[in-house]
Amino acid sequence: MLRSPAVVITMTVLVWFIAAFLLWPNANLLVQTFFPDGQFTGRAVEKLMSSERAMMSLGNSFLLAVTLALTVNAVGIFIVLVTEYFRIRGAKVLWLGYATTFIYGGIVLAAGYKFIYGADGIVTKFLAGIFPDMDRTWFEGFFAVLAVMTFATTTNHMLFLGSAIRNVDFQTIEAARNLGASSWTILRRVVLPTLKPTLFAVTILSFLTGLGALSAPQVLGGQDFETITPMILTFANSTTSRDLAALLALVLGVATIAMLSVMTRLERGGTYHSVAKVAAPLQKQPIRDRGANIAVHAVAYVLFLIYVFPLTLVVLYSCMDSAAISTGVLTLDRFTLENYVRVLSQQSALKPFIVSIVYSALAAIISVGGLLFVTRLMLKYRGWLMSALEYLLHIPWILPAAMIALGLLITYDRPNPLVGGFVLSGTVVILLLAFVIVKVPFTLRMLKAAFSSVNGSMEEAAAIMGAGTLYTFRRILLPAVLPAAAAVAALNFNNLLDDYDTAVFLAHPLYQPLGLQIKANTDGGASVEAIGNTFVYTVLLMVVMGTVMYLVYGRLNRVRRSPRARRVPLQRVGGDAGTPNADLPEGATTEESSAAPLR
Amino acid sequence: MRKPLGAIALSIAAAVLLTSCGQGDTAAEGEGSAEAGTLVVYTNSNSEGRGEWLQAEAAEAGFDIEIVGAGGADATNKLIAEKNNPIADVVFGLNNVYYEQLKKEDVLEPYTPEWSGEVDESLADPADEKAYWPLVQQAIVLAYNADTVSADEAPKDWPELWTEDEYKDRYERVTGMGGATTQLVMAGILSRYREDSGELGVSEEGWSQIEQYFSNGVPAVKDLDLFARFAEGEVDFGQMPSSSIPGREEAYGVTSGAVAPEIGVPYAIEQVAVVKGTDQQEQAQEFIDWFGSAEVQGEWAQEFDSLPVNEGALEQTKPEVIEFDEQFTHQDIDWTFVEENLAGWVEKIELEYMQ
Repeated sequence: MLRSPAVVITMTVLVWFIAAFLLWPNANLLVQTFFPDGQFTGRAVEKLMSSERAMMSLGNSFLLAVTLALTVNAVGIFIVLVTEYFRIRGAKVLWLGYATTFIYGGIVLAAGYKFIYGADGIVTKFLAGIFPDMDRTWFEGFFAVLAVMTFATTTNHMLFLGSAIRNVDFQTIEAARNLGASSWTILRRVVLPTLKPTLFAVTILSFLTGLGALSAPQVLGGQDFETITPMILTFANSTTSRDLAALLALVLGVATIAMLSVMTRLERGGTYHSVAKVAAPLQKQPIRDRGANIAVHAVAYVLFLIYVFPLTLVVLYSCMDSAAISTGVLTLDRFTLENYVRVLSQQSALKPFIVSIVYSALAAIISVGGLLFVTRLMLKYRGWLMSALEYLLHIPWILPAAMIALGLLITYDRPNPLVGGFVLSGTVVILLLAFVIVKVPFTLRMLKAAFSSVNGSMEEAAAIMGAGTLYTFRRILLPAVLPAAAAVAALNFNNLLDDYDTAVFLAHPLYQPLGLQIKANTDGGASVEAIGNTFVYTVLLMVVMGTVMYLVYGRLNRVRRSPRARRVPLQRVGGDAGTPNADLPEGATTEESSAAPLR
Repeated sequence: MRKPLGAIALSIAAAVLLTSCGQGDTAAEGEGSAEAGTLVVYTNSNSEGRGEWLQAEAAEAGFDIEIVGAGGADATNKLIAEKNNPIADVVFGLNNVYYEQLKKEDVLEPYTPEWSGEVDESLADPADEKAYWPLVQQAIVLAYNADTVSADEAPKDWPELWTEDEYKDRYERVTGMGGATTQLVMAGILSRYREDSGELGVSEEGWSQIEQYFSNGVPAVKDLDLFARFAEGEVDFGQMPSSSIPGREEAYGVTSGAVAPEIGVPYAIEQVAVVKGTDQQEQAQEFIDWFGSAEVQGEWAQEFDSLPVNEGALEQTKPEVIEFDEQFTHQDIDWTFVEENLAGWVEKIELEYMQ
């Protein structure tokens, strides 16, 4: 294996990358927290333990995590059932409404909710006109954060639970009915048990999202509801208090790792897989009880409105003039494109958008491009070394984004031999690096699946005919995995486009990506123009993300039945307002694709 | 299989296109401050149109500047964090405490501007080789809403706010420690209770004052101005740097008064300096020569009600600004003591008293 120079180079780069960007920054975080001057100190622990505020925000984070896991499951299971399992009128329209979270999430969504329901929001102003005595800050604190995050993070349910439920073998349902089971019993005793592994996975994901939440508590938490990640941010900014930030990040990291190991353990336990030789496709179930049917329809459409209402307002108000935005008026004669003209023609308004696109595109291409070689090697030369390296590449997946960012920041703010003696903080490179790092695990898993599904005999044939390693790679393997690779790159691009959680730690002050700009527009005593700009950013983001999604899925789905079509499981887009790097849980990839299983 | 391939090829082409333009961009980005002639200026003094005004005026004088605004402490932390690879070329507007901190961290490049003879040298860097020079000074005052509170009814000093029942829940207290004004107010209170054996050099009595300040005040609302809250009648007292008062009175239609305690008020002496490691040292120095000159400081004073340090600029200063300033005495604060302990104070307050 060491005879090929290409292999040697790839291996060297890989080992260096792992050491310099995955291992050392995080280890250094530990060192800086507990051994800042080579001597053990419990200062950070003591300080935090004695701080009521810190303990309170820790408590709040866990409270949010637990309640979010419950509420997201309740809403998520419901919307999956009404779109995939029950016969509901207008299910397609409902699905579109619920699916808006694919292209509308994270800081963008939090900002949108604030502009609509916040103290100066459009709806609040309208209501205050009717009820002058109302509390204008009604949409603030724990309730607001929970509500926003609940409706923003059902994406995982739509993806994973949705595809799992489509895979339920209809024959088992029919069999149960023949045995006299009621609809409710079938749902409870036949359908839900088969979904158990997926449900575990999405529950843990929701929990982690709540735990690491940053933008939603920042934008909507107000004074009384503070969580860990915003506190990390406060302390990370001060050089003398960074150990406190590091310790808080470590707490998050440990909690995340603990939850993930619980998940893996649960997965190993008994799961029910329907392994019918000839699985019958699921047929939608009517709800026989008239009352229940009406109730389910009503709830489904109310949820639909909750999902679609903020988005619709944002789109409509992006076409209103400033006066209309500030007074909350919505009439046809105030229609204008001035917001769009301003964003697209003013350099200062367009710049964050361009910065985000450039960063995301570069990160997407670098991560996919680099890992193409790595994945190939991993499949070709198996062994303990390769599996060890593969495990290490999953590090970004088990750590919260805030911790990764902080690790990079405190490790590379001084010359470091690992990166050739350069200082990375204060450059535009460090954010790009972080973007690449957080995308590594997802990209690796997807590419591995793609490579595994390539017909091995083609490669053998090429080798027999005398083709070299590189030639085979270039002419045989690459074309075969390219569609999947492009799809992964596109998803990475989408996912990074509205990033806030990483950028807030690492962005260059002169090249601030869109997420930061949108956040700034939510406070800043924001001018009406800034709010208008944010609406336009939101619409533009949705157009870009929607187009990318369509290119990846819309076209591919049409050839779904083709045996060679490789589907890439959807990735959470835009996040949640929480950790953006919790992409895919191990057990959640129950996609019915013809791609090889992910592990 | 053909069709999706086509679509994907298209998206790759688009992506490649994006990156190729992108790479041009990043190449330029990589140079950062080296970009032809653009000076990066960090300041906490960019609000209420100051940043825009300065950028426009500087452009006329031939300086291409980009302003990065942040709170006083935040800007300081940023400069320290970036010291191994500075982005900024010039920093102005922070008060002497922060400049002292920056100098200790080796962030500043000593420079004596052309106008050094026109300012009171005692306000500049106390060292022999001076790294920073003063531009303007302002009192950090306890302001009150004079429309609802008469001068007699107003408190005589800060501690009355939380010790006298009549003021409790009527003053605005801060919710973040990143601002320069906030930190000076805290320094002004804490240094009255200096006790070398106490925690961070402050007696228990001192910390209890801070605790009461936080528990009895009305929390500030992000980006809702104190004077706007005066107008709404939500609060009647709060901290304010003196130069911000006239503009806000006008903007929110309130009249305000300022408390003049016997012990004096903390003064922010806002400075300017060159950042060490800038690759445009000459440009940065020229900019400082221009910005601190009597003429520009005079215009700045006219525009933003500041009290310049440059004697030549005093002529153009509004008489009411000078008059306003004359009612205060400088509180006697040991700045070395403050500078040594400030970071610890802020951390302790963030952890223990901030709610």
